[in-house]
Amino acid sequence: MAEPAPPWAALVLPLALALVATALATADARSTGPGREVLRLLVQQRRITRAADVPLVRLATTLLPVAAVLAAAVLPLGFRPVSDLPDGIVWFNAMEALAWAAVWLAGWGPNSTLSLIGGYRFLAQGLAYELPHMLAITTAALGAQSLRVGAVADAQAGLWFAVWMPAAFGIYLLSALAMAFWGPFDQPVGRDTAGGAAAELSGVDRLVFLGGRRLLLVVAAAFSVPLFLGGGHGPLLPGWAWTLIKTAAVLGLLLWVRRRVPTVRTERYMELSWVVLTPLAVAQALVVAVVVLKK
Amino acid sequence: MDLRARLTRAALARPAVLLATSPGATRERLAVEAELGRRGWPSAAGPASADLLVFAGVPLPLRDDDWAERVWTAVPAPKARVTVTDAEHAAHTLDHGHRTLLTPAAHPAERHETATAAAPDHGPHDSQGSHGGMDHAHHGRPPGTVAGLPLAERAEDRDGLRLDRLHVPLGPALPDWPAGLVLRLELQGDVVRRAEVDPMPTPAASRPAFWSEPWLKALAGEPGTSGEAARRRCAAHLDSLGRFLGVAGWSDAATRARRARDRTLGDAHGEELRPLVHPLVRRVRKSRTLRWLTAGVGELPGGPVAGDAHSRLIGWLDGIEYALDAIGDRTPLADHPLIGPRGRVDDTEAPASRTLLAALPALLAGAEFACARLVVASLDPDLDELAARRAPDGRTHG
Amino acid sequence: MEAAAWEPVALLLASVVAGVLLLHLLGAAARTVREPLSTGPFSGGLEPREHPVSRFHARWYPVTMVFLAFDMEMLFMYPWARVVPEVGVPAVVEMFLFLGVLLAGVGYAWREGAFRWT
Repeated sequence: MAEPAPPWAALVLPLALALVATALATADARSTGPGREVLRLLVQQRRITRAADVPLVRLATTLLPVAAVLAAAVLPLGFRPVSDLPDGIVWFNAMEALAWAAVWLAGWGPNSTLSLIGGYRFLAQGLAYELPHMLAITTAALGAQSLRVGAVADAQAGLWFAVWMPAAFGIYLLSALAMAFWGPFDQPVGRDTAGGAAAELSGVDRLVFLGGRRLLLVVAAAFSVPLFLGGGHGPLLPGWAWTLIKTAAVLGLLLWVRRRVPTVRTERYMELSWVVLTPLAVAQALVVAVVVLKK
Repeated sequence: MDLRARLTRAALARPAVLLATSPGATRERLAVEAELGRRGWPSAAGPASADLLVFAGVPLPLRDDDWAERVWTAVPAPKARVTVTDAEHAAHTLDHGHRTLLTPAAHPAERHETATAAAPDHGPHDSQGSHGGMDHAHHGRPPGTVAGLPLAERAEDRDGLRLDRLHVPLGPALPDWPAGLVLRLELQGDVVRRAEVDPMPTPAASRPAFWSEPWLKALAGEPGTSGEAARRRCAAHLDSLGRFLGVAGWSDAATRARRARDRTLGDAHGEELRPLVHPLVRRVRKSRTLRWLTAGVGELPGGPVAGDAHSRLIGWLDGIEYALDAIGDRTPLADHPLIGPRGRVDDTEAPASRTLLAALPALLAGAEFACARLVVASLDPDLDELAARRAPDGRTHG
Repeated sequence: MEAAAWEPVALLLASVVAGVLLLHLLGAAARTVREPLSTGPFSGGLEPREHPVSRFHARWYPVTMVFLAFDMEMLFMYPWARVVPEVGVPAVVEMFLFLGVLLAGVGYAWREGAFRWT
């Protein structure tokens, strides 16, 4: 059983996530330096397109970092999450689904064709990635017979789930990219739509939206550590160090994938996801269920 | 106040650049892109994320619609714009733009400039920012408009439904888009219902179209070697490849293609270019994901660019490798058939790009937006060719 | 215990909202031009003829129906994951029969071309 973190952890966690996101942006060869980019967006004028729904846009941009940080509430650093909710996995799933609303609202709000297309692209993408994703995280919960994230990590003190449920792990990584609309799944903010859902955002709105997206990527990658990579378990080093190392490794992998693969269009991915990945995820869940019964 | 100025200076050390190219300004565009790559200034996907607006070539209005002014008004402050009219001075002009951007005194003036921007030809929904609602004198407006524009009306769609239809012009200032191309789209959701090509007016060219220059010169009887032409062809295909990969969302490979293009247009030897080009070509050719994503998109049954987007891409890759081997060739170009990067170069009134443009509407009808962008990028018409034809004496001197 | 577990989450929500507000305040203090820029939508520089906000052609509509079926199934699967060893073999058989029925639905939808469009 994980011990609860002190209350100030709730204040530190957003900062810590932002720090990791900044480190990620620094490692990312394409960006010009995150500090400068933040400053650039802070001094930039705000922008309102004709007949735009301004409160909607503001809500959408705020919702993305809020969803990411709230999802991270159940994320253990080492063995101590901000709050080890008894249904932590369901909570994570629910928060991550808030991003659907955020991106669609950001696309709809500015009253612009290209951002509208971007917003709807994310809905289609959500329909494609979400189901295998839910089956994958349920499989991890099944392996530990608990929906508590801490318990799932503890069940991997010996063998990592990634080793004996590789299909679920692979599917989780794909959906981590898709939920943060990152790398090969960046169609909702694709360059072919001049920035898609973010096409009309400038200044702080843009900073909050795109920053929230990076937070979401960090959280999604970090969540694979307690689910599949043994959480804070590891030799010699303390738990928090292992969590950081494993998260960095996953993020490195995700960055590498983006370099190697062009943008996957949802119309093609949808079929793959439903016809290949969903049955695969169900088969994986069946294998795990049988193993759990035998124990 | 001083602090704010200093913050702005620090923030804009590397401004994000939105590059809008006019037809006939390929030389200028290439110079600007190479210079931006050297400086590491990021490229903006649209005006919202841009600081510096760079026009390659003087932007001409399209049917009295000053699109350049409109893009400019859509850029949030602090901002600056420059027009590069001479490839040789690209770096200097960018420096000038950067200085303007960093001068605090420049911003109020810009706001003034913004406020006096020309209103569009059709109606009072101007770009001045004074369209708060319906309380302005909207004389002659039909009822049912909001902020000067009507809502979309329904029409038959390709799947037998009745859906809202939007009339959206696409271009000319989009990233990874053929310079000067404007498409008038009828969109239902993100499905293109109909597409019309509405190319920008092209200024009378004083120089031959950049990508077919060696062949046009040979046609006019000037001396030139096959090696020079091969170099130009290699760079042209790398340029198209960069644009296609950009649209396909593979920015890493697109950046490599552009870097290889710039080196090819420099005086690098074939031996120097090989380690840049070959790994790239091999990776793009072998990418199963790219094949899965582009196969079957924009299929043409016949003609010079028959096949789908992926087979046209492979055609470029073959052309790049073939041309790379021929860069050292010293035989006169006039001894060979005059076939440029986009097709036959001859005296008739139909340059190859006109055929490519003509193929667009049929291919785009019924395509999804992302596929439509891929189709345009895979045909990659070069509107410079149309410009050059309008200046009969233009092709002879370079 | 239950309520205590949610207190830090509420604190987290407050701190992230405060963070976003702080960014907006910083922006308001730092930006060079205070009043927002009013402009038209961008699609390359020319203006659309209508307002872009419209009834969108959601071609993945059949997929949403199939998705909904599975989404309801997930409601059962989450609690099920906790009780598999307690209930034993029947739990596994019943759940995967249910999933099998749904997958048959996916197969049918696939044959009908619900997952494919261009």
